[in-house]
Amino acid sequence: MSKVIVVTSGKGGVGKTTSSAAISAGLASRGHRTVVIDFDVGLRNLDMIMGCERRVVFDFINVIQGDAKLNQALIRDRRLDNLYVLPTSQTRDKDALTQEGVEKVLNELREEFDYIICDSPAGIERGAQLAMYYADEAVVVTNPEVSSVRDSDRMLGLLSSKTARAERGEEDQIKSHLLLTRFDPRRSGDGEMMSVEDVLEILAIPLLGVIPESPAVLRASNVGVPVILNEKSRAATAYEEAVARLDGEDLPMKIEGEKVPGLMSRLFGRSA
Amino acid sequence: MQTDVASGNIDGVGTTLKPFQFRGRFLTALALRLSTAPDARFYEMLADRLEKTPNFFTDAPVIIDLEQSQAEVTPEALSELVADLRRRELAVFGVQGGDEALRAAAAGLGLISVTGGRDAPLRGALPSSEQKRPQRVFQERPPMPEAQPAPAQTPAPAPEPNPAPEPAPVPQRVAPENKIVTMPVRSGQTVIADKGDLTVVGPVSSGAELFAAGNIHVYGRMRGRAFAGIDGDENARIFCQSLDAELLAIAGLYRTSDSLGADVRHKMVQIYLEDERLIVAPFG
Repeated sequence: MSKVIVVTSGKGGVGKTTSSAAISAGLASRGHRTVVIDFDVGLRNLDMIMGCERRVVFDFINVIQGDAKLNQALIRDRRLDNLYVLPTSQTRDKDALTQEGVEKVLNELREEFDYIICDSPAGIERGAQLAMYYADEAVVVTNPEVSSVRDSDRMLGLLSSKTARAERGEEDQIKSHLLLTRFDPRRSGDGEMMSVEDVLEILAIPLLGVIPESPAVLRASNVGVPVILNEKSRAATAYEEAVARLDGEDLPMKIEGEKVPGLMSRLFGRSA
Repeated sequence: MQTDVASGNIDGVGTTLKPFQFRGRFLTALALRLSTAPDARFYEMLADRLEKTPNFFTDAPVIIDLEQSQAEVTPEALSELVADLRRRELAVFGVQGGDEALRAAAAGLGLISVTGGRDAPLRGALPSSEQKRPQRVFQERPPMPEAQPAPAQTPAPAPEPNPAPEPAPVPQRVAPENKIVTMPVRSGQTVIADKGDLTVVGPVSSGAELFAAGNIHVYGRMRGRAFAGIDGDENARIFCQSLDAELLAIAGLYRTSDSLGADVRHKMVQIYLEDERLIVAPFG
């Protein structure tokens, strides 16, 4: 039973593409056949983060428009043989995406893969809406600051109203998870950033993981390797744990700098 | 949207008194609907009808509905009718329908030309012979605060509960249609209960908007905007389990979060109108 997971945020620059790359690499290392699709038409980035930009021949838009077969556009990762990337076009814009086209490609991918990760563009326009429309689950990437939290809240509203599952009815809604990125325990402790608890209180969805702000993330992007596969770092460990939770494992949450007693139980209390 | 007299001043300087305000207002009026030009029999029946319940009609605002009879009623007949009604202490103030000549004649008699409004349901008590004089509610909607957003963004359709007893906003005999939302109301979402109360069981985010003709209840942290009594019901109230709202409005009078003191923030409160002031009162 394959799952379509959209990685979305509303706000730009919070770490959607980095997280999409890390999550898909993480799921693949756990043995699942995984594909990650770049929905950010015109601002192609995922292939660079994944380190396959030089191997792009055909892209998602070519497949949608029937110029190429899906298998011609899928790029197999050099490190993990069950991980594929479906890059997007750098020259087209988001109008090239059609709902029917996206549905057809996703249906084809569902037959081959366990996990289909959709890397959403920022904003709430066509690209972002189509990236989430056919999703079964959502990973909402949020930074611990007010504008990012508000945008994530807006995305959660769209996830619960403007998606295929929402339109089908009350049962069987999209399962949304919160992935808090660029978290700096020291600044959160000083009150410069929002605390994990503050964010959870506003968004009221289960927490998938907290990724600490780390230079390892930037280094990994620069060499085109998903964080999770690059050097051992706190960020890599945090992503690994988040992926394990996304894959259904019940791992305790460890948050640096948050030593409030009973926090764990409260966090998990929310995720019911 | 009406401006606010109630918002406090954070500098502690007294609020300046505004010389006037525009307020939306409802008004119940009687419409005298003419089926034909008034004749002797008409006046006889009218006198008869008015005698039955004299108090009900004294000083009642009345409009004359000419929509069904404008071909037959002459300006002279209209003038005569108005004079007759005024002798009987009915406060005739307008006409509805009528051709140009009739409207000109009405203007000469000091009557305004009314458009819009809608009929109240006929009461069963009215005898069938009274068809000429159905009761009519004449109302003008006060302007909605801002453009009314499309209800398309409301979360999955909330179940419509059975109408609970509540004070009707206007003397219309319409059963309220209350709405319950059991999901978080997210930033950018709008929920409208245009014919009754709105109850939200869950948090309301900053940037979300709630509208209700009646009361608004929020069981969860309230960070968004709430507009109760959107049709002008000044008895509508807002109840919040934990107040952190951006804006609160009842019947068009509003307060923003700037003017909410720290003493009510995050408290369980009710908000109501008292003497044109928006009161935020904590419970307990």
